[in-house]
Formats: sequence, structure tokens, C-alpha cells
Amino acid sequence: MGKEKQEIYSIAVNGTKDIERVDTERSDEGDGKEKRKRHSKKDHQKELKKDLDLDDHKLSTKELEDKYGTNIVQGLASTRVAELLAQNGPNVLTPPKESPEIIKFLKQMVGGFSSLLWAGAVLCFIAYLIEFSKDKSASMDNVYLGVVLIMVVILTGMFAYYQEAKSTNIIASFTKMIPRKAFVIRDGKKREIPAEHLVVGDIVEIKGGDQIPADIRILASQGCKVDNSSLTGESKPQSRTCHITHENPLETKNISFYSTTCLEGTATGMVINTGDRTVIGRIALLASSLGHEKTPIAIEIEHFVHIVAGVAVSIGIVFFIIAICMQYRVLDAVIFLIGIILANVPEGLVAAVTVSLSLTAKRMAKKNCLVKNLEAVETLGSTSIICSDKTGTLTQNRMTVAHLWFDKQIYQADTSENQNDQIFDQSSATWASLSKIVTLCNRAEFAPRQESVPIMKKVVMGDASEAALLKFSEVIMGDVIERRKRNRKVAEIPFNSFNKFQLSIHETEDPNDQRFLLVMKGAPERILEKCSTIMIHGQEQPLDESTAEAFQTAYMELGGLGERVLGFCHLYLPEDEFPDTYTFDVESMNFPTSDLCFVGLISLIDPPRSTVPDAVMKCRSAGIKVIMVTGDHPITAKAIARSVGIISANSETVEDIAKRLKIPVEQVNKREAKAAVVSGMELKEMSPEELDELLIYHTEIVFARTSPQQKLIIVEGCQRQDAVVAVTGDGVNDSPALKKADIGIAMGFAGSDAAKNAADMVLLDDNFSSIVTGIEEGRLIFDNLKKIIAFTLTKNIAELIPFLIFIIAGVPLPIGTMAILFIDLGTDVIPSIALAYEKAESDIMSWKPRHKKKDRLVNHQLALYSYLQIGILQSVGGFFAYFTVYAVQGFKPDRLLYLRPLWENGILNDLEDSYGQEWTKYQRKYLECTGYTAYFVAVMVQQIADVIIRKTRKNSIFQQGLFRNKYIWVGIASQIIIAVILSCGFGGIPILNFITLWVQYWFVAVPYAIVIWLYDEFRKLLIRRYPGSWWDKTMYY
Amino acid sequence: MVNEKEKKTGGQVLEEWKEFVWNPRTHEFMGRTGTSWAFILLFYLVFYGFLTALFTLTMWVMLQTVSDHIPTYQDQLATPGLMIRPKTENLEVLVNLSDTKSWNQHVQILDKFLEPYNDSVQAQKNDVCRPGHYYEQPDNGVLNYPKRACQFNRTQLGDCSGLSDPTHYGYSTGQPCVFIKMNRVINFYAGANQSMNVTCVGKRNEDAKNLGDFTMFPANGNIDLMYFPYYGKKFHVNYTQPLVAVKFMNVTPNVEVNVECRINAVNIATNDERDKFAGRVAFKLRIIKKT
Repeated sequence: MGKEKQEIYSIAVNGTKDIERVDTERSDEGDGKEKRKRHSKKDHQKELKKDLDLDDHKLSTKELEDKYGTNIVQGLASTRVAELLAQNGPNVLTPPKESPEIIKFLKQMVGGFSSLLWAGAVLCFIAYLIEFSKDKSASMDNVYLGVVLIMVVILTGMFAYYQEAKSTNIIASFTKMIPRKAFVIRDGKKREIPAEHLVVGDIVEIKGGDQIPADIRILASQGCKVDNSSLTGESKPQSRTCHITHENPLETKNISFYSTTCLEGTATGMVINTGDRTVIGRIALLASSLGHEKTPIAIEIEHFVHIVAGVAVSIGIVFFIIAICMQYRVLDAVIFLIGIILANVPEGLVAAVTVSLSLTAKRMAKKNCLVKNLEAVETLGSTSIICSDKTGTLTQNRMTVAHLWFDKQIYQADTSENQNDQIFDQSSATWASLSKIVTLCNRAEFAPRQESVPIMKKVVMGDASEAALLKFSEVIMGDVIERRKRNRKVAEIPFNSFNKFQLSIHETEDPNDQRFLLVMKGAPERILEKCSTIMIHGQEQPLDESTAEAFQTAYMELGGLGERVLGFCHLYLPEDEFPDTYTFDVESMNFPTSDLCFVGLISLIDPPRSTVPDAVMKCRSAGIKVIMVTGDHPITAKAIARSVGIISANSETVEDIAKRLKIPVEQVNKREAKAAVVSGMELKEMSPEELDELLIYHTEIVFARTSPQQKLIIVEGCQRQDAVVAVTGDGVNDSPALKKADIGIAMGFAGSDAAKNAADMVLLDDNFSSIVTGIEEGRLIFDNLKKIIAFTLTKNIAELIPFLIFIIAGVPLPIGTMAILFIDLGTDVIPSIALAYEKAESDIMSWKPRHKKKDRLVNHQLALYSYLQIGILQSVGGFFAYFTVYAVQGFKPDRLLYLRPLWENGILNDLEDSYGQEWTKYQRKYLECTGYTAYFVAVMVQQIADVIIRKTRKNSIFQQGLFRNKYIWVGIASQIIIAVILSCGFGGIPILNFITLWVQYWFVAVPYAIVIWLYDEFRKLLIRRYPGSWWDKTMYY
Repeated sequence: MVNEKEKKTGGQVLEEWKEFVWNPRTHEFMGRTGTSWAFILLFYLVFYGFLTALFTLTMWVMLQTVSDHIPTYQDQLATPGLMIRPKTENLEVLVNLSDTKSWNQHVQILDKFLEPYNDSVQAQKNDVCRPGHYYEQPDNGVLNYPKRACQFNRTQLGDCSGLSDPTHYGYSTGQPCVFIKMNRVINFYAGANQSMNVTCVGKRNEDAKNLGDFTMFPANGNIDLMYFPYYGKKFHVNYTQPLVAVKFMNVTPNVEVNVECRINAVNIATNDERDKFAGRVAFKLRIIKKT
């Protein structure tokens, strides 16, 4: 255990780098703050680095009083309290440092494409300044464009920020701490104060049900038991006394830790650490200082931004040089550059991606997965290893009767969530006796006022196994309390670890029977020792060898299932020896406790949730490795793992093989065993290489008896295999692992605030199967993001080519920058979001998880297909519309070539067209705008085809169903409506350069739209026909 | 705890690039083997071939629907524009009397511009038409071309004809001629059967003062109806565009004078806010004279 302590602080040593970084950041901004405060931060940091040098548990009461300047009877003086409070601050955990809102906001505005757009805006202003310096009456168009670009950046930034903030706020409501109270003795008076006002040296009183308000040294205890599960992961209640029982402060029983709960009894203690200096505070602080790695989707989007930005910048530079070589003016070349950047940047994509992610987040929230960080939505989808807790996540987190053994036979009990299907044989007289013992020898009671609550959901006061037995008998026999009343209890010895049994003596309900009934339950071997007979079919029979053997077999079998086995026996006390006036004395034990009659065994287990085996199966078929990490005993862990399918029915561990072949464990070829059960002790001895080997060669792994710190080691091991690791956890000590994991999943019910803070996601129902539905959503959104990006990238080429042709062939500009913006931010936004609603093409849960480094969001197939095939096709369609508009108005294509210098010459007001007619500059400009609008409409029409083909990547549109995703049609309608409004309504605004387009021009690009659709169907057909072929590899994105 | 990203040295990056460009182990050039590249190239060849064919086909069909002699739509040319000759930079007619070079280029442009108007050329190619009437040459079911054009003789420009003119259209004396022409629009019946003429004014009051007197050729700046309608470059081969010459007699020297000329015709609006050349033309006159 001493080693375990080191492990906690090995985090500290590694973590300091991050802390230092945080600290330097802090000191930059901290100038305005009080110097003293900064000082204390420094001290504090040093403190963190140090090992836990708590020795308060070794001190005597007197020494403690001296050390903390307090009095254990009178408590602290108020003056001293105020002093200490000012010095150490309130007794609260510092919430993890969040970057200020303004920084988050600004980050949205400089990341990704925003920088390209800023560059575009700056170029616009530069272009205007050049023009202005030459000619005072220069047109303001470039300024307007620059302003619009800045607005685009700011608006999309605000939008992304808003979405991000919205999803963070959902969580904020969770982390809000419930104000806690503490009973404290100060100035000799007992009073109730808020727990955050506690200071070191305060004398506090705690009682059952309280949360320990700070780290305290127990001074006096009356049967005080605490639940340390949030700290150590061990859920067994631990008693607390005022005596030192261990050198290690974490192990000794006279120290109780902040945020653990007192289950029963009362205690008085002295506060020895508060706030962040508590053991839990330190861990939480370390977790928050652990850097969070970029989410896979963030990496993917960055990769995608790099591709697009690379294309934009290189094409921009190449054509800048070409333009200069073609003796364009520098100013013109700059304007071309703006156009090329603008055409390349998918301005609306960031918003579409954010919306899609938050839509998925919303959908997941409905399925009980609350996502804190939008990007985590996808991370869940790429998860390849889940390290799951056992208790509460895989299991129901309550002890339940699993098996009974009586009449030399094992009966199975119903362990499902509602247990209403108890089918074992209840006709035997033995069962009648057993049920009586179960009912009577039980101290647990239902909490009052829950008559209307179903039995299984009722709150029980008492220990977990007793609660299980209480509910079990309540379900089978009805009103237990009433039955207990009828069999009045006259004496009782509660369970203790020395006796290992529990005993009570009752009057019987039969008025004719004046005998007392002694009932006893406890550890089976101890119970059996006390018995000389056994009840078979209601008849007492002497306990012979064969019966004892049958008992042993049953006991071993049930124990082997990882179940906690209890033995039950009884004895009717002879009436002559114990008349009804007899007074029983539990101290002197004036009654027999041997030669009892053995009745049966009942075994208990925390059963798996009924949905979990299915979910594990789903994970398995989805290529996700499920690793169980538990603090529980290996045998129990293995049994649960088997019952939920984490260890599948036909796979064996090394130990199983050894047992089967009857050879020593060392001789077994480790590679033969698919499954492995590794205890925390073994894990401690392992080198990282050995752990890697373990993780690679065993597909089914259970880590048992692990400390929460070892979780971190396991997570790191998995991450070394390039896996995307999801980790579930609830305790404070889990928080470093949650933080380290690619996606940390905290439990909504059982989870501590620290765990929820460190996690990326909160499972509202603590149920493992919710993770699986989450994974499904995550995978779907990854596929759909691909579709969205493919859709969005396509028209970028259709926007870019006009500029290139314009520069190279000198034709009048086919599409203006404003029209480009209106495609990107107008017509295309809703259809791209609609793609997020697309259903999966095939069973996405039958695919392997994507490889973090190989399966990219934007792969070259996607880029090439969108850019060089559909994109080019769209451009051709757009140019067809453009040439049509010019031709029918008098400028045939041949006339347009290299016309640009004349076309744009403002003095030339009699430019001749193909028919000899002459055009003024304004008339040409109007025609040019007609061309812009026609090109815009052509792209819009073809984008309708594009959004339809993007519904699937492999299946035919008809397999997917044209009308299953109604939002696509909303999107298409929006495209048309926005285009009509732009063309009709805004025709009058000169800066937008839209004109009212005649109806006939709207249909020019329709043949091309149809070709796009036919071509894509052809592509998909070949992919389906010839999987693995060259075509499949090249054309499937 | 955060995995430090392995920083690659420059050499390694270079090495990786080299391997990307040519990988000797797998015989891959830029990540693809030769056959793979061949497939790709072949595919794109076929694909773009198909695209070219598609584009050519659609363009061909579209151009089939477009007539040779008249554009499908003329809605954007409802109002013909006006333009001046000499067409100078910023439409500023600058005449520096002490610098022959400054106006000589204008003169050369005008000489060239007026050459087709020579009486001999006109007499040889074009008809004498009935003034005051449109010269209509309908097709009547059968294409009737080439269409004939009406004569516009250079001599009609009087003092501005530049014929045996030692003053070079008045440029050498500071009394320059500016020629005004109306944009050709096919099948446009300018004037709607009523006579029309061009008038010029100074843009503002001081411009009017500085502008002084001017004479117009033909008289009153008339444009005769017989030059309309225009039947297009292809059919109306020798079409001669009517001109109006304005000779500015005594422009105040050394100031910039803004002149605006417009056509007065029933069916030509001259007040379009956005198109500054619709039925009108504005230009600047500047005579520089050493005093």
C-alpha cells in the first residue's frame, strides 16, 4: 500500500511541468493581483510537489492541540478562526481554471479558416489603399468586401462560441455544489456553519449520512463508519476510531477524508486540512493541471484546414505570379488573390460542423450521454478501447440474491432489475424455515414514507447484503416488517468481523408455540461449525460427511461465481430451558450457539445490468475492446466479466488453461489465452513493455483489485497502442485517468464533482449501454461530417475556376466575390446541416473503429473526388450557364476571349459585341451581374444534385431512400428560396451584384445536375459491384 | 503526462519528403506506383474527355438556338449610349496650343476614324436614301442580305470634315471639333419616326460661360432617320454610323470645361441615374494657351 501512495505522487512529479506552465501564465496576468496572493500560490505549488507528509495521525491529542492552537473541548476562538480563514482561504476546492470567456471568444476568431479570411480582408483594404492613392474617387467595393469578410469571421466566431458555451452550460449546472453544513465547536459552543468556513483546528462533529467536511483527525468515535469509495474505489464501509492503526496516513483509521461519507455512527474530529490542501483537493488539482490532448475530431479538422488552406495559398500564389507575368497590374493581381482565397475557403463549414455536432450532442443527451465538449461527440465514435468500471456501470450497484442452496440443491434467483420473476421451488418446508431466518435475522429496514415506491427502488437503511435480503424476502413473502412484528425480537448480536455471524432470538408467531427461535446467519464455514444437523425437505437430519461435502461443493461453486455466500441456521430453544420469561443476555451469551440446525446458503452478487451483455456484444462486433477495471476481487470481477461477455464464454485465461491441462501456470503459452485477469498487485510489478504486451495479445482483459491510480497507467498503456480510449469513472481519484483518457466519462449519479469536472461526458444513467448508443451516434456523425465536408468542398472549385479562367483567358468575371459568399453562407448552409440528419448507410456498429492516424476525415479520395471530379463538373455547368447568358445577349464565347481589358475599361462606352452592337460600360456591368447571378444559380442547382448524391457514399440513393431524411428537402427548399430572394429582392442593391434572373436561365444547369447525379450513381454502383478493386480504393471516400 | 509531440529534425523531414517523392523500396512516386499513376491518368483522361464532350455538346446545342444576325435578347440595350471621338483618356480633350504633340494624336485618330466617311467611299458602297425616313429592308420570309446602307458623306461635317483643313479639325487653333456618335443597336428605330438631334451644354453654370459658342454639323446636330434601323455587323456590311460634329469656337483657355451632349429623341431616355452614357455623353475640354 505504501507503493500505492507513491503512485499518487508520481502524478505530482510528472504533473509539475504543467503546473509550472499554468503558473507562468498566471504570473503574466497576475500583476494587478495582491502580491500576497501570488505568494501563497507559489507556496501552494511547492506544497503540491512535496510528498504527503501528514503525521497528524501519529500525534497525541495534546500535541495536536499545540500544533493547531486549538482546544478539543472549547474549539477555536473566533478571532483565530478569522485569522486562519484569511490566511488559508475558504474550505472549498478551487474549480479547474477555465480560460476567460474573452480568450475563448477570440480563439474562435483566429483559428482555422478565420486567419485566411482575415488575410483576405487585409488584402481588400490594401487593394483599396493602392487604388485610393492613385485615384481619390476609387470605388469602395473592396472596402465593402473587406468589411463583409470581417463580419463573416466575427459572426461565425460568435456562432461557434455560442454553441460551445451552450453545451458547457449544461454541465455547469451539474458541478454546482450543494451548500454543505458542518457542526463545529467554537468558543466552547456548538453551532452549525457552512462547510466552506471551516479552518484548520476546528473541532467538528459528524454523524451518519454526513459528508466529511474536511480532512479530519478523529478524536472520538462511536461506531463511526465511512465510505471511502470516492477516494480508494473500495466500497466497503470502513470503521473510524481515534487510534492510529497504520503508518500510512491514507490507511490509518483515525483520519477521515474530505468528501467521503460517514455511513453510520458519530465522531468528533479536528480539521487538519481544508480546501485544496486536502488529499482529495490535491488529486483534483493534479487532474485539472493535466493537459488535455486535442480531440481526434479537432485533429481531423485541423488536417482538413491545412489541406484547404494549402490549396488556397498555393493556387493563390501561383496565379499571383501568373498574373504578374501576364502583365496585369499588381493591384489586379492582389484582387485576384482575394478572389482565390475567398473561393477556396468554405466560410459556412465551421458553422455547419458546429451545428451538426451540437445536434448530435442533443440527440445523445436524450440517450443519457451528456457531452461537455462538443468535439467529444465524435471522439466517442472513434473509441477503440473502453476501460469501464464495474460497479454501477456494468452492474446494478446493489447486492442482490443470486443463488440459494437448500435441500442439497442450488436454486437460481432472478437478478434482473425488478426481480419479479422468482421461479425457484418455494414449496419445500426448508424454504419456509430459510425464509423465516432471512426475514428475522436482518436489521435492515425500509426508510419511512415510500409506500408507493416499487420494492426494488425503495431506500433501505442498513448494510448492502442485508438490504438485498430484505428486498428479496419482501418480494417473495410480502410485508417483512409485519412479519418481524409478529415474531418479536428479544435479543440480538449484530454482525462483527470477529464473530463473523449475526444472531437474533425471537418469539414465534404461533401463539401455541411458546418456544423461542434462535436465528443466525454469517460466513458459511463459521455457521456450519456451529451446526450438528441439517434440514432436508423440512426434516432435521444429522450432518454427516456426505452432506458436509455437498455443502462444500455448493459453497465453492457459488464462491467461484464471485458471489458473497452467507450461511443460515436456526434453533428452536427448548421451552423447558428457556421459558418465555427468560432474559437473554448477549454479553454472557446465556443461550446455545452450537448444535444448531443448518438450513441453507444464500449467495449475493451485484448483478450485471440486463442491458449490458448486449451492449458488450455490440462493442465487440464494432471492434471495440472492453476492458474492465475494478477495485473488486479478481474472482468476482471475472464472474461479472463472464456474465456480461467481457470475457466470452469460450475464451480462457492462462489460469483456466493451466487448470484444464493440469500443468503449472508458468508452462502455459500465454499467447493461447485470449482472456486475462490481472490484479493490481501483478500490474504493479509490470514494466510498461509487459503491459503493452498484455494489451496487445489479450483481447479480453479484466483488471481487478486496482487502485484508481492504476487506471491512469492502464489508460496510458492503451494510448501507446494508438487507441482512442474511453474511460469511465466516478471517484475523485479517477479524475486524472478521466482527464488523461481521450474521452473521460463520468457517472451522473455516482460520480463526484471532481470526476464530472475532469470528464468530457457525463452518463446520466450510469449505464454502460448508454456509452454504446453514444458510440453509434459518434460514428454516424463522423460519416456525416465526411458528407458535409465533401458537399461543401465541391462548390469551392466551382467558385475558384472562374477566377482562374478569368485570369488566364481574360473573359469577363463569371462570378463575383459577393455571390461566392452568398453560396457559402447562404444557399449551402442549411443543406449541409441537413446532411447531419442522414441515417447510417449500413450497420455502422459492425465496422472496426476508425484508425486515428489512417482513417482521416478528409482523405485524398474525398478531396480528389470533390475537387477534381464533381467540382470540375460543376464549374463546367456554371460556365455553360455563363456562356449562355452572354451568347443570348450578343457576346458569343469567341468574342469573350481576352476581352477583359476592353470590357473593364470605364472610358470605353461603345464596346462592340458579336453582332456589331455597341455597349456602354454600365450595360456591360449589368450583363456581367447577370452572368454572376446565372453562374450562382447554376452552382445552386448543381449543389441540389450534390446534396442528394452526398446522402450516401456507397449505397444508391434509392437504397437510402430519397425521403427518409426530410431535412434534406428543407435544405433544398432553402437553397431555392434564398436564391430566388437574392435574385429578386436584392437585385436593386448594387453592392451585392445580383440581378433579377429570367426564369429560363434557372434551368440552364439542370442537365449538368442530372449528369452529376448519374455519374455518382455510376461510381457507387461500381464500388458496390467491385469491392476492393482499384475503383473502390480510388473513388470511395 | 502529456505525450510530447516528437519534434522531427529538418533532416528527417527532408528524408521523408524524399521518400514520398520517390520511394525506392516500393517503387512509388508521390505515394503511388507506376501502374497506379497510369490508371489515375487514364481515368482523368477519360473523365475530362467526357466532360469536354459534354460541354461541347451543350454549347453546340445552345449556339444552335442563337441566331446569326440578331441576338436572342436585347433588353439590356434599350437605351443606346453616346460616345465621342477622339476617345481620349478620361474623356478629356486636351489641346495644348504650344505643343503640337498633345493634339496631333487626336488628329491622327480622327483621320483614321473619318476615312470610311470619305465621299468617294460612300458613293461607291452606299445608297443615297430618302432623308427623314427609316431605310427598312425587311426580309419578307427570305433572307435578304447583304443589306444596303445609306451614305453619310464626310463633307456633311462641314468645317469639321477635316478635308483640306490646315487647322486640323481646329485643333491647331484651339477650336477643336468633337464627334459624337450613337451606339449601334440592332433593329432599333431611333427617334420613333420623329426627327432627333444632339445638343450640348456646359454642365454647370461656369462651364456654360467658359464653353462659349459652338457650331454643329450637320446643322442643329440632326441625326437623320435614314440611318436606322441597323441590321447587324454580318448583314449590314457597309453600315455607316451617323455622326454629329461639334466645333467649339471660343472655349475659355486654361480652364477645364465640362460639356455634356445628349440626344433628343422621343424613344431615348437620357436621364438614367446609373448609366451615365445612356443617350448622353459627358467630356472635358481644356485648351492650354500661353498668354
